[in-house]
Amino acid sequence: MSYSCALQKPILLQGHERSITQIKYNREGDLIFSVAKDTVANVWYSVNGERLGTYNGHTGALWCVDCDWDTKNVLTGSADNSCRLWDCETGKQLAMLNTSSAVRTCGFDFSGNIIMFSTDKQMGYQCFLNYFDLRDPQQIEDNQPYLTVPCAESKITSAVWGPLGEFVIAGHENGEINQFSAKSGEVLKKVKEHNKQINDIQTSVDLTMVITASKDCSSKLFDSTTLDHIKSFKTERPVNSAAISPIMDHVVMGGGQEAMEVTTTSTRIGKFEARFFHAAYEEEFGRVKGHFGPINCVAFHPDGKSYSSGGEDGYTRIHHFDPQYFDFELEA
Amino acid sequence: FLLLRMFILSDNIKLLGDLLREKPQEADGIDSVVVVDNVPQVGPERLEKLKNVIHKIFSKFGKITNEFYPTVDGPEGLTKGYIFLEYGAPTQALEAVKNADGYKLDKQHTFRVNVFTDFDKYMSISDEWETPEKQPFKDFGNMRHWMEDPDCRDQYSVIYESGERTAIFNNDAKDPIVSEERARWTETYVRWSPKGTYLATFHQRGIALWGGEKFKQIQRFSHQGVSLIDFSPCERYVVTFSPLMDTKEDPQAIIIWDILTGQKKRGFHCESSAHWPIFKWSHDGKFFARMTQDTLSIYETPSMGLLDKKSLKISGIKDFSWSPGDNIIAFWVPEDKDIPARVTLMQLPSRQEIRVRNLFNVVDCKLHWQRQGDYLCVKVDRTPKGTQGVVTNFEIFRMREKQVPVDVVEMKGDPESKTAFAWEPNGSKFAVLHGESPRINASFYHVKNNGKIELIKMFDKQQANSIFWSPQGQFMVLAGLRSMNGALAFVDTSDCTMMNMVEHYMASDVEWDPTGRYLVTSVSWWSHKVDNAYWLWTFQGRLLQKNNKDRFCQLLWRPRPATLLTQDSIKVIKKDLKKYSKIFEQKDRLSQSKASRELVDKRRSMMEDYRTYREAALQQHHEQKIARLQLRGGVDTDELDSNTDDWEEETIEFFINEEIIPLGE
Repeated sequence: MSYSCALQKPILLQGHERSITQIKYNREGDLIFSVAKDTVANVWYSVNGERLGTYNGHTGALWCVDCDWDTKNVLTGSADNSCRLWDCETGKQLAMLNTSSAVRTCGFDFSGNIIMFSTDKQMGYQCFLNYFDLRDPQQIEDNQPYLTVPCAESKITSAVWGPLGEFVIAGHENGEINQFSAKSGEVLKKVKEHNKQINDIQTSVDLTMVITASKDCSSKLFDSTTLDHIKSFKTERPVNSAAISPIMDHVVMGGGQEAMEVTTTSTRIGKFEARFFHAAYEEEFGRVKGHFGPINCVAFHPDGKSYSSGGEDGYTRIHHFDPQYFDFELEA
Repeated sequence: FLLLRMFILSDNIKLLGDLLREKPQEADGIDSVVVVDNVPQVGPERLEKLKNVIHKIFSKFGKITNEFYPTVDGPEGLTKGYIFLEYGAPTQALEAVKNADGYKLDKQHTFRVNVFTDFDKYMSISDEWETPEKQPFKDFGNMRHWMEDPDCRDQYSVIYESGERTAIFNNDAKDPIVSEERARWTETYVRWSPKGTYLATFHQRGIALWGGEKFKQIQRFSHQGVSLIDFSPCERYVVTFSPLMDTKEDPQAIIIWDILTGQKKRGFHCESSAHWPIFKWSHDGKFFARMTQDTLSIYETPSMGLLDKKSLKISGIKDFSWSPGDNIIAFWVPEDKDIPARVTLMQLPSRQEIRVRNLFNVVDCKLHWQRQGDYLCVKVDRTPKGTQGVVTNFEIFRMREKQVPVDVVEMKGDPESKTAFAWEPNGSKFAVLHGESPRINASFYHVKNNGKIELIKMFDKQQANSIFWSPQGQFMVLAGLRSMNGALAFVDTSDCTMMNMVEHYMASDVEWDPTGRYLVTSVSWWSHKVDNAYWLWTFQGRLLQKNNKDRFCQLLWRPRPATLLTQDSIKVIKKDLKKYSKIFEQKDRLSQSKASRELVDKRRSMMEDYRTYREAALQQHHEQKIARLQLRGGVDTDELDSNTDDWEEETIEFFINEEIIPLGE
């Protein structure tokens, strides 16, 4: 590795008392949403880290958050067995969809009209993938998804929408990736390249690719339509989250290990690192330290000039790249 | 009476045959009879004594109901040298055969015991000689193949995936090169033989030895439940231990095998495997010995019998150790009433005591031989008269000097602390770790020819609990393993300088390669469940590689056999070393630039593939533009700045900083 990411001083978002579970930028990148185990959902200005507001209502740990393309609505999923819809600007809760088990993943489709969320396999209930059409208020009122797909085998641990809202790409506990049709619920494609849980799936900004982060210590790049396996990025620690740079051939990965094992590895302060890999060469070229615990979520700003990481330590750190980052090249 | 009649007839072999064929149907005693041959021939005056001896030996297997001692020329002559004994049951006769056959009564008389009915069996052996079938020659190829690597790469074994996979690598400074990799090659762990010829793997049913270029299975030893093994230094024998197999009659806990033939040579009882190996080998494999309560038993090969047919009675013997260079055993006994404790050096096979050293007020002793047997260090913990504490001394025996003079080094400092000691291989220095954490000191001593032992250097406040000398001497590593978090100090003892202080967090093991060029530190899954990996360092402490392996368990370097070069040839090579260095350096440079070129080529081709893919994906993306516009109500969101007219410009002021600048008066 010959590039050490010397960044400008990061912006620290302090608004959560427990570990961050997911962070997301809105499409234009001016806002960052963060959710955590402390039942709180926050939204911040990404330019200076000032908190815009909080979405209050959930009574359990929050696992997921998403924002629609127009930054109108916000969707959150929680261990309090509910998926909630919010008005982004006012913070008002627009809908509450109750479920039988914890909501693990959620997201708006490309149009912003259809939402999906998956529930955990818990307390006798199996994992379900639910689809609601927001244009049909009856569905929301009756809490009746127009499509509900059971996942009998391995529960869904992470999921994103495909490029045109036709299917959801889901990662499972056993390392499988499936495309579930949003029309019929059938599995359109499936692959198994990982052999342990998929902790995170994220799309490239143009939605042509997805990157997976797995407990098997690797991250992989797939074509979102064909699910062809394009690249692999290997580390020696479980990967919790991965993201694709919008403007460079880079990916960033964050991870760590099981909370129980944290005390047994080097406890030197601030040692948990986000790792940067060259997307084509599959080689690591840089690391950024700073978190006091494992990194649970990473995300690139849509303009590719900064990225954020949310950690087990409850902090979200926004890092802006210095000019060297954009000039750096591996010999080829 | 029956016996007598049979004896008379047995003088005529043919008749005996007939007799046996006509024998009565029920087994009326014949099956309970044994014939003992090679019995001393004695006259009537010593007959009673002989009978008593025989009785003592043979009544162990059952009640002797009848006996017959035939004599030459009537009852006044010498006994013939063979006797008949009748037991109460055939099973007892069989026991007698099993246990007394081969019994060495004295130098000239080793009993041969057979059941009487066996004579029939042996007599019906055909007179025709049938040539035994020729076994096909198992060619395992060149067993030293790994030594012929043109780049002189040493091999090492790696067990990972918590034991599921075992691999053999060739050590290259750049990257390890896989030589062989197998799933479930061993069930627990592996061991190399002392000269590196064999790799031993463990299985429920016994151990297997592998070797040659392709690691074919050379030999198999069946020992159910085997848990420990040891090789003789000459690689002729392997000793296996299993806690399962021991029975009173049939000692099977420890078995010694001949490696080349696969034969079981001898079995032994074993009370406890706590201090493995139980049998310690002399350096040339001629003898092996073990210590039991008050006894030192020395056996010789290949007979596997006790040297001089008896064990040595050494009352109170606490520990013993072979010199690695000569057939000398060192052992010590603690104080006994008014006889002081002492260390004894005994020459084998003569059993001559070549040196005895008395020690006073001894609490404990540990024996440390220098690798070539040039020196013996006895670490003595004593409680001097009139004190309470424990003091440590090192008694250095100079083995190569006449009458083995002994010099003493006293360890000053905190007597309660633990001490580690290690000799320099191929040299005359030793290192000692002493003190209590965090004030552990590393002291280096030189045993000089002029009778002095000089303290060369002491490093204090070291994070170290183990000493690892390079197998070639001079260089060494002080390591703080496990609880000391993997601190490593690389030392050059030619001038006692600290070359490098580094760390391999949570390292559990350190292994030098056989040449002393490389060092491996590792974090084993057996002691720590995360970050399992092995790291490769140069002998100076420069990190070369970090090899992560899923659930890495164990790495062992393959030992090398002794060099075939004479000391003179080695001197010549060392003299010309500059010439050889030049050639090697050039080779290294070429290989490095080749690696760079290979890497660059690889990257180029990966980028091409990636670009090709991206082009196709973007093409498809472009084709979907209309669909995208439709989904977002005609708004083009393909680029961040696709809708600049939709943007609002807002100016916001942020408070950054306040600075108070005092104005001049």
